[in-house]
Amino acid sequence: MSATVDVTEASTLAWFETLGWKAFDFQREVWRAMRAGGSGLLHATTGSGKTYAVALGALQALGPVSRTRETRILWITPMRALAADSARALEVAVQALAPSLKVGLLTGDTSTSVRAGLQKSPATLLVTTPESLTLMLARGQADETLAKVSVLVVDEWHELIGNKRGVQLQLALARLRRLNPQLLSWGLSATLGNLDYAQTVLLHGGSGAAHRVEGLTPKRLQIDTLIPDNIERFPWAGHLGMRQVKAVAAEIEQAATSLVFTNTRSQAEIWYQALLEEKPEWAGLIALHHGSLDKELRTWVENSLKTGALKAVVCTSSLDLGVDFLPVERVLQIGSPKGVARLLQRAGRSGHAPGRASRITVVPTHALELMEAAAARHAVGLKRIESRVSPHEPMDVLVQHLVTVAVGPGFIADELYAEVCAAYAFRHLSRERFDWALAFVEGGGASLKAYPDFHRVAKDEHQVYRVPRADIARRHRMSVGTIVSDASMSVAWLTGGRIGSIEESFIARLKAGDCFTFAGRVLELIRVRDMTAFVRKAPKGKGSVPQWQGGKMPLSSELAQSALEMLALTQTQPLSAWPPEMHALQGLLEIQSRWSALPSPERLVIEEIHTKEGQHLFVYAFAGRMVNLGLASLMAYRMAKQSPGTFSISVNDYGFELLSADVFDWRSALDAQAGVLSALQMSEDVLGSLNSSELAQRRFREIARIAGLVFQGFPGASKSTKQLQASSGLFFEVFKQYDTDNLLLSQANTEAMEQELEMHRLAQCLQALQLRQRVYLTPPKPTPFAFPLMIERLRERISTEKLSDRVQRMVADLEKAARVS
Amino acid sequence: MSVDILPVTPPTGAVSFKVQGEQLYLLPQKALWWPAEKTLFVADVHIGKAAGFRALGVPVPSGTTANTLQRLSDLTAQYQPAHLVVLGDLLHSAKVHETESLDSFLQWRVSQSDLQITLVRGNHDDKAGDPPAAANVRCVDEPFLMGPFAALHHPGEHPQAYCLAGHIHPCVKLNGKGRDALRLPCFYDNGKGMVLPAFGAFTGMHALTIASGEKVFPVTPQAVFSLPIF
Repeated sequence: MSATVDVTEASTLAWFETLGWKAFDFQREVWRAMRAGGSGLLHATTGSGKTYAVALGALQALGPVSRTRETRILWITPMRALAADSARALEVAVQALAPSLKVGLLTGDTSTSVRAGLQKSPATLLVTTPESLTLMLARGQADETLAKVSVLVVDEWHELIGNKRGVQLQLALARLRRLNPQLLSWGLSATLGNLDYAQTVLLHGGSGAAHRVEGLTPKRLQIDTLIPDNIERFPWAGHLGMRQVKAVAAEIEQAATSLVFTNTRSQAEIWYQALLEEKPEWAGLIALHHGSLDKELRTWVENSLKTGALKAVVCTSSLDLGVDFLPVERVLQIGSPKGVARLLQRAGRSGHAPGRASRITVVPTHALELMEAAAARHAVGLKRIESRVSPHEPMDVLVQHLVTVAVGPGFIADELYAEVCAAYAFRHLSRERFDWALAFVEGGGASLKAYPDFHRVAKDEHQVYRVPRADIARRHRMSVGTIVSDASMSVAWLTGGRIGSIEESFIARLKAGDCFTFAGRVLELIRVRDMTAFVRKAPKGKGSVPQWQGGKMPLSSELAQSALEMLALTQTQPLSAWPPEMHALQGLLEIQSRWSALPSPERLVIEEIHTKEGQHLFVYAFAGRMVNLGLASLMAYRMAKQSPGTFSISVNDYGFELLSADVFDWRSALDAQAGVLSALQMSEDVLGSLNSSELAQRRFREIARIAGLVFQGFPGASKSTKQLQASSGLFFEVFKQYDTDNLLLSQANTEAMEQELEMHRLAQCLQALQLRQRVYLTPPKPTPFAFPLMIERLRERISTEKLSDRVQRMVADLEKAARVS
Repeated sequence: MSVDILPVTPPTGAVSFKVQGEQLYLLPQKALWWPAEKTLFVADVHIGKAAGFRALGVPVPSGTTANTLQRLSDLTAQYQPAHLVVLGDLLHSAKVHETESLDSFLQWRVSQSDLQITLVRGNHDDKAGDPPAAANVRCVDEPFLMGPFAALHHPGEHPQAYCLAGHIHPCVKLNGKGRDALRLPCFYDNGKGMVLPAFGAFTGMHALTIASGEKVFPVTPQAVFSLPIF
């Protein structure tokens, strides 16, 4: 029906010429490599022409195309918001160079009719997400259609490499490579501390030459801080720095268009409200953007940003990636960016016009974030950028993958084992573990422990594993995906119309009549029905803040180390050599030194104080939230091993607090031979501490959902799934009691150790702490460093006491309180 | 009503209280014991829940039903009740009739042949249907009146009787000194009667918000506790 199309370098350059563009050297390098059948990684920042480097290379690599109704190029993007934008950019190029080819877009947002259209008449170039790609594997005809794919491009690979979505993609890639061994795979990545590794993970198991192409050198970057006028009255933590609203509004005023990044959705909601209150005339000129908002709303915001119609957008990581917004002049970061890579990424959203520099301004929300801002600039100067590591053999993702392929074309065990081993994360997977996963989906467990009546996957007469039941297959397709958020609920007007979605656990805490801010409005909850929260506009003057999760990003070790160095600098350098942020902190640092001492790379400061809550021990290890939690668990566990006790743990990026009702002699426990901070027997003790805390159980939430234990349901279809409602906590308990060898349980332990506690960093940190001089102090009252830890509400607990003893004590306390009141 | 069978000492770890002159015990085994009538109450047993999950392709290890039945056996061995009253949701779903769980229950029933069992039908029983005749379980709709008590599934009110109910799987969050916190199953006195914790091994819990005039009794394996009222 259509003539052959052939995109060549010459035709590409000719098109560039009509636009007045010149191809960059790195673009031609990618094109050449792709035409020669090579794969690779392109390291480039946003807005540098990276999309056309790889997309046009892919078209050139196809050679003459005569059959235009099969998918030849897959473009994987980590975010739905980004997918639409990429599709638009690719559409422009395809229109110009090969108009008979079709560009398609397939994400969770795609309507059923478009979906059906794509299945009937596939797009040559399909833009999609890792989840939607996995869903493609779950089609009956998957192998026939996917075998035609010649090029797979992963945009923003740095966002995927370190998580289970990336592993899901690795597995899909392994499958595509088996179907087409000549498959070209290319990744696009922003700066990471370990780009070589990122390339290895992506190209693992592929054929052809491996290329590494460097894009344009990044733009000039300016990092500064909005230093508040009055540090003394500045809240120390927990507050949201709202005092700075006026100053932020003034900065926004100066620039044509600004992006205001926050670290959580609730923070975005609050800042949006506050800015409107400060500048009511900005109604309609500023907007809100985060992942819970409805797609239409987000699209409107993105388009308005592009046309320059908006003065400012308050957003979360939802706008971190990809999309180019040329008009953006300024980026403001509310709170610490917590990582150097993230800071660079966000800064890169600004200054896209030629000759302009990127500029990011940190707006500290508590005093110590001034130190983090200075540390971030210091780290960027040293090019000290975080690395990201692929998860190792996540069994939940493997379990999910087995069912996915069984739902699709089915599989023979030996073949799938070989294929799975071609994915980097599973390159060392033993046959034993693979067989365990297979047995788990087939009969629930190893033959002796098979679960009666359970058959998710079954072997047919040709030894092919398939999902025998249509309802199981349907449920699996609906729950595919590894991004774990809380079960989410639609938010809709009572009068009709969807506003967005919100975590069920948040809505569950509200009663009808309660108010909350969402999508920039104050809403009143009227009722909840069928996974939808029906709301109306709240009467004036009321509002509760959504407590969305996701606010606890850990400070990277790179940034933590830099922060310690900043503290050291204040002790060794004259005031004139201090960065302005540290200058502003002078008062606080002085109090800390006077009442206690300042931590430094050479000195570990430990403080003990007593209040009516009990005994508090503060340790400032400066290891980042996760490692601090590991250290805290370890110390608490070792202490509680000697004498039964219960410790409530609070952590932040700088240190941790161990709070106990009873008094413990920490000083001797620290000084003792093989004391509570010793590096000996670390693994055993951390594992031990996991059993007396809730960490592994929390980790299990995600595992249960990915492995298909907990069915999340989806808005509007909850009724049929009600009989399957059970919490991951319940699953955790029954596995622990009735199937202790279950690998998903050990995965929960491993993940808790590796990811929550970051064992590797923990080990390094313990070693490093041995070399630091320990200073044990008993200040008269909470120091500036202790205060944020004391008021932290979210706590972990470690206990070796009998449950009844703990309840006994609580009841006794309550009795006492009851008598007083 | 006879009084001579009252044990001399109350059961270990139990909380005792009196309703209209009748002595009752809240047992750490998540059951309520009425010694005068040698009657034991439990709620929300949910037999076959795990099997139902497995049949729908969700892997739940086996053993939860066996555990539930074993704990019932331990209770009957210790208290020698003449009558067991299940306050609803004995069976989880209609699927249970096709599973091994029902066989286990029937076998267990044979071992307890002297025991009279009454099921006050709950919302799950309505869907699951009554146990087969071989189970020898008398099935009644709520309210089922027993002397001064009304046995219910859904917590409710009764003009004369003190209500005993289940359905909500109550649990309570406790906070203590040193910011200690725990979530425990509990008995729940809602002012109109007593709501029992779920007995089944594979059941979840629902956290209560306690209003004034209400009381909760958290349960640990060792004991039932009585919390002061504020």
